[in-house]
Amino acid sequence: MAKTTALIFGYNKYAHEIMANVVDKYKHVKIYSLHEEDVEKSDGRVEIFDLSDEWLEIRKDVDIENSMAFCLLEENAQNIFLTISLRANFENLTIIAVASNNESANKLKMAGANKVIPIVETTSDIITNMLEKPISSKILHSILYEESELKIAQIKIDKESHFKDEQLTSIDWTRYNGIIVLSVMHKDMKSEFIYSSKAKHHIIQEGDILVVVGYEADIAEFEKKIGSKRYVNWSHWSW
Amino acid sequence: MLKRWILDFAYYLDTSKSYQKRKRFFYNILEDDKNRYKKYIDIFMITLIFISVGVLIREVKFHVNDYLMFFSNYIISFIFFVEYMLRLWVSSSVSKIIVARAEHDTFLHREINLAKAFKQILKVKLNYMASPKAIIDLFAILPFFHELRLLRIFILFRVFKLFRYAKSFQTLSSVLATKKFEFLTLGIFASVVIFVSSVLIYVMEGNNPESPINTLFQALYWSIVTISTVGYGDIVPITTEGRFVATLVIMAGIAVLAFTTSLFVSAFTEKLDEIREIKTIEDVSKLKKFYLICGYEQVSREVARKLSARGSSIIIMDDDQSRVAMAKKDGYTALHYNPGRVDSYEKLNINMDKQIKAVLCLREDDIENVYAALTIRSINKDVFILSLLMSDANRKKLDFAGIDKIVYPQELVGLITKELVGKPVAFEVIHELRSENADVKIDELGITQRIVDNFPTVGDLGNKEFRVVLLGIYKYDHDRFFFNPIDDTLLEVGDYLLVVGYEIFILEFEKYLHTKVRNG
Repeated sequence: MAKTTALIFGYNKYAHEIMANVVDKYKHVKIYSLHEEDVEKSDGRVEIFDLSDEWLEIRKDVDIENSMAFCLLEENAQNIFLTISLRANFENLTIIAVASNNESANKLKMAGANKVIPIVETTSDIITNMLEKPISSKILHSILYEESELKIAQIKIDKESHFKDEQLTSIDWTRYNGIIVLSVMHKDMKSEFIYSSKAKHHIIQEGDILVVVGYEADIAEFEKKIGSKRYVNWSHWSW
Repeated sequence: MLKRWILDFAYYLDTSKSYQKRKRFFYNILEDDKNRYKKYIDIFMITLIFISVGVLIREVKFHVNDYLMFFSNYIISFIFFVEYMLRLWVSSSVSKIIVARAEHDTFLHREINLAKAFKQILKVKLNYMASPKAIIDLFAILPFFHELRLLRIFILFRVFKLFRYAKSFQTLSSVLATKKFEFLTLGIFASVVIFVSSVLIYVMEGNNPESPINTLFQALYWSIVTISTVGYGDIVPITTEGRFVATLVIMAGIAVLAFTTSLFVSAFTEKLDEIREIKTIEDVSKLKKFYLICGYEQVSREVARKLSARGSSIIIMDDDQSRVAMAKKDGYTALHYNPGRVDSYEKLNINMDKQIKAVLCLREDDIENVYAALTIRSINKDVFILSLLMSDANRKKLDFAGIDKIVYPQELVGLITKELVGKPVAFEVIHELRSENADVKIDELGITQRIVDNFPTVGDLGNKEFRVVLLGIYKYDHDRFFFNPIDDTLLEVGDYLLVVGYEIFILEFEKYLHTKVRNG
């Protein structure tokens, strides 16, 4: 289920980039800063917060179950403290944190972040792939960030789905022209590559998620044919 | 008339491209360590030297084959003679000296004085001939006159020629040359001690019939053996006075030995960084393809690690000593040069077109990256430059500096978040494919003529049998990607197959594509 509120902690370059990319996906976006001057600069769009906060106002105003928090403070120690503080107060809040290095990424995970974006690691991965595998890097980039018409989608197997109770390897995927199924994710396991030995013996059940690549029309056709829909479920995150 | 003829000839040689080209060629193969043919010449000459010495040793007690003897005495000597003449030729330019003299005199409205030019030529050539290396070269030719038995010992000079070819000897002598004054002082001190102690011991022991020291030469021999702390014991003083002198010489010997050792150690310690740098530059100039990373901070450190893990060669350049030290500690070839200075690249003597895969400006500072990129662009217009961008406001400046690819980490975080929020599982899948630690990988397989001959269409590939997903075909010439192509799609040379699968299965599949026999 998609989240309705975004809580962005930190008013910096990362916050601007995230806002630009995700603002249309949420009904409400709330930005918090530690610094008074950010509040003044932003004409009141930014609210002030304190690391020793009890989060009473957020608890009162925000539907935490349907919110996602972005911890973007530039000071590693402060960002970790913020994450641990949010997790201690809100058990079901989905937290995404940005880490400047691997060491703080590990600490942020330990502090309870659902997902950590290690900036150095990610940037270096992208640079290395650009240099060593330029074609695949370009294609994956265009698929992931929807720069071409090719899309990647996750499709949940419903009660009515055709594939339900079928063995993964017994399905003739060639019947579904135009799409490629890359992996499957069962609620108890991480996403498994379609040809992995685990996936080979897997019986498709209700709630499984298929990760497919294809053009929009073909994905829609596939959804129709198998009787399933695209789906986002944060509890399935593997970390 | 003769003067005119000499001048014309000098001008002709000085301007002749073919003559200068030949002369440069010989200079390079004889003197330029960076020349790729020089090492073969060196190995050839070293082999000749060892053959000569081998013959000399064999000849002491056994008969040496006449042909081998002829080869050693005449052929090798002739080769050395040719080498000597070539070195003498390339050591300086006769035509340049004559032309310079002619132009100098003409400028001052004087009659051209060729005698002065010849005098200068003689001086320059004699200077070369008097250099230690040239003298050794000359002596190495002398065994040619092998009938003169005494001259045969000059074969040993051929061994000294090894100094010319073995770089480590040259390094050793250049290191020791820095301590010339100290070694001279030590030499004078040791000589005075040896002289005084020889005279003293001779005076004390010379008249004693039981003493083995009967001549001044024996006294000198004893002094040298004692001061060097060798102490054979074949000649020993027997009088009390003589033993007292021996005590003093032994103490002086310890001082000389300690002083010599410390001189060697300090000379090497002082020059160690320089020697290492020279070695690094040599190694870099030998590399075939590498990434040049400018700056060693968090992102560059990680990029270096990943590229290195994939087997790519990398060179790191940074103007900060502590960052260079960190890169060296991490096991990379790192140079303490400023990436923003042209002379840094000149010193390295690298061919950017042939040797560099890409330059990565990865300082976490836009000003430094622009500076380095502009410097590199001023040297080479085609080399691929990738740069980090730290502030979006500077993007245009980086574009203007001629950077081919800009990576802006903040923008990446925005894009990643967008995808994470919308499709977390799909994101995980793609992220896994890109990650270096994942089992499942995405790879690019180039299509060769052999593959096209054996597998004309996509349907013939049989990738499913190898548990490999064919994501699509990238047509390089048209810069187009054909996703999930149908079985009838024709493969062409230059295409790339984008495949997803376990690394080991992709390798198997690739091997199969390359090794399958036609129609087999």
